[in-house]
Amino acid sequence: MEQRLANSWRLTANEKKFIESALLSELRVDGRGPLDYRKLNIKFGKDDGSVEVQLGETRVMSYVSAQLVQPYRDRPNEGTLSIFTEFSPMADPSFEPGRPGESAVELGRIIDRGLRESRAIDTESLCILSAKLVWAIRVDIHILDNAGNLVDAANIAALASLLTFRRPECSLGGEDGQQVVVHPPEVREPLPLIIHHLPVAVTFGYFSNENLVVLDPTYHEEAVMTGRMTATLNANGDVCAIQKPGGQEISQRVIMHCLRLAHVKAGDMTAKIKDAVEKHNTERALQKIKRHSSSVAVDVCGTTARLGGKQNQSDGDKEGSRLDQLKLKDETKAMECDATSSAQVQSNKKDESLKNFIGGPSSWDPYSECVNSDLLKASLASRGQSTPSKQKESRRETKPEEPQKEIKIDSAPMDTALTSEQSNEGKTLKDAVKPKHKRKKKGSSNNGN
Amino acid sequence: MESKSSGSAANLIDQVVYPGDVVLDLSSMTNQTIKLGGGLRQDGDVISVMKAGRLRFSKPNKYWVESSQKRYVPHAEDSVLGIVVDSRSDNFLVDIKGPAIAFLPVLAFEGGTRRNIPKFEVGALLYVRVVKANPGMNPELSCTDASGKAGEYGVLKEGYMFECSTGLSRMLLSSPTCPVLDTLGKKLSFEIAVGLNGRVW
Repeated sequence: MEQRLANSWRLTANEKKFIESALLSELRVDGRGPLDYRKLNIKFGKDDGSVEVQLGETRVMSYVSAQLVQPYRDRPNEGTLSIFTEFSPMADPSFEPGRPGESAVELGRIIDRGLRESRAIDTESLCILSAKLVWAIRVDIHILDNAGNLVDAANIAALASLLTFRRPECSLGGEDGQQVVVHPPEVREPLPLIIHHLPVAVTFGYFSNENLVVLDPTYHEEAVMTGRMTATLNANGDVCAIQKPGGQEISQRVIMHCLRLAHVKAGDMTAKIKDAVEKHNTERALQKIKRHSSSVAVDVCGTTARLGGKQNQSDGDKEGSRLDQLKLKDETKAMECDATSSAQVQSNKKDESLKNFIGGPSSWDPYSECVNSDLLKASLASRGQSTPSKQKESRRETKPEEPQKEIKIDSAPMDTALTSEQSNEGKTLKDAVKPKHKRKKKGSSNNGN
Repeated sequence: MESKSSGSAANLIDQVVYPGDVVLDLSSMTNQTIKLGGGLRQDGDVISVMKAGRLRFSKPNKYWVESSQKRYVPHAEDSVLGIVVDSRSDNFLVDIKGPAIAFLPVLAFEGGTRRNIPKFEVGALLYVRVVKANPGMNPELSCTDASGKAGEYGVLKEGYMFECSTGLSRMLLSSPTCPVLDTLGKKLSFEIAVGLNGRVW
């Protein structure tokens, strides 16, 4: 008994008094204000759907996987979503290995309710064969380090991993259309899940003084606080779930105030998650271009967001009619800027195959641009892959379109090579007429830089 | 011979040593008692290092290896900060961040008798001295110094406690005064208690 006592962390009466009295003057031990979140860092792993979130010192890892199963009898057209949590003993000395404890189950339930009740994930799109085969999505959440506020961090991890998860594409085949063929990711690009909105969990801590409310409590504050409430909202202000597990009684006025606070914070958090996911998708698309020159990864999520950005910032740059073409070029441009900069030997991580690849376009017909952009639009809309020819042609188009500084901001550092090109060129499609010279010019200008 | 052995030992004092380094050769020293602190081991005729760190020597004859980590290994005559966990009839159970809970006898206070046993609530922070710290046994503590006077030992009221590494607490206790404390003292007046077990109040 004494041995076990020796290994756990203890709260001193001094700390308790100090934390509470500091909060009375709106000060927290780590220097934050009572309603500030800690620094959030979202890191993506190699697999689609693998995410590690760091909220201050708290670390949570989430992993999404999918399996084909039989659907439930009463919902033959819907796929399933299940959340599993594991509180690793390395996170906290009080976590025991084996069956999940009460707090682990509670955490899983909060995240599950936020996603399921609000129908954030579209489960009907997960149905392959009605009443026979559906996708069962499984989210595994591992707590790596407990420094307070596991619920919020785990929720962000679950959302980020669901946003970046890609499930294999399947098609129906066979004589009676009943055979399901699952295409491996090398053959057909895997598809993202359809997610309607992002339910973000915001946790509040209450203390013995009724007026003290704290957002994102740390480990010490969690030990001192007397009550807790987690509100799951999305950026639209819809309340998806509320959890208040016992503890101090809270007046209705305080709860409403907290919900309004949570709405603001949910908006912030949603923006942060979306930014991080977008950045990741861009890098992922670039990597795919590097590795498979024969198949283009067209990532709609990343590109659509960039589309929005372009629309805002391309005032007065081009004629309106060309705006659409520009947007499309921008999408593929990010993928291609990788290739172009490799040709100019500026960046450090390109492979030789791309150089050969770039040699191809010099014989292309620049006047076929309009056709290509339409084709590209169609291919993007259907989320299929574009053929190599399309991609090559779009690359040709985008070369003269480089002037977009917005693209530079969105994409990876290799864009710095392109900025010099942008400043050199005029900004009309007519420049595309002489693509060969352009590229050589760019090449020389880049090499000069 | 003595100079040679102390010479070889002196080469390593305050140097970084690694497990396996030979620090002293006992065959060359006669009629000397040497006290070994943590991190050193007697291997037949030779004293070798068990833990990576700096070799320290204090007159007249004590050697030990010092390193900085989160864990605390209790040694006798260390001043540490303990948290009361439980009270028994004859001693308090105090957590000092070591491998085992330490015992603080109920009478180990200045002028302590059965009549005036202090009452500590669970979670009280105490500044105590380690009296006995044998491996495998629960350490014993005391709220008095070696001569029986209370000194600074006892319960710490108010304030805030945080945990740090053992290296940082040693640096805070070093003499001359640690520059951090000097600069802090220029801005505000404060009272600080540093435990060698990595707790600072």
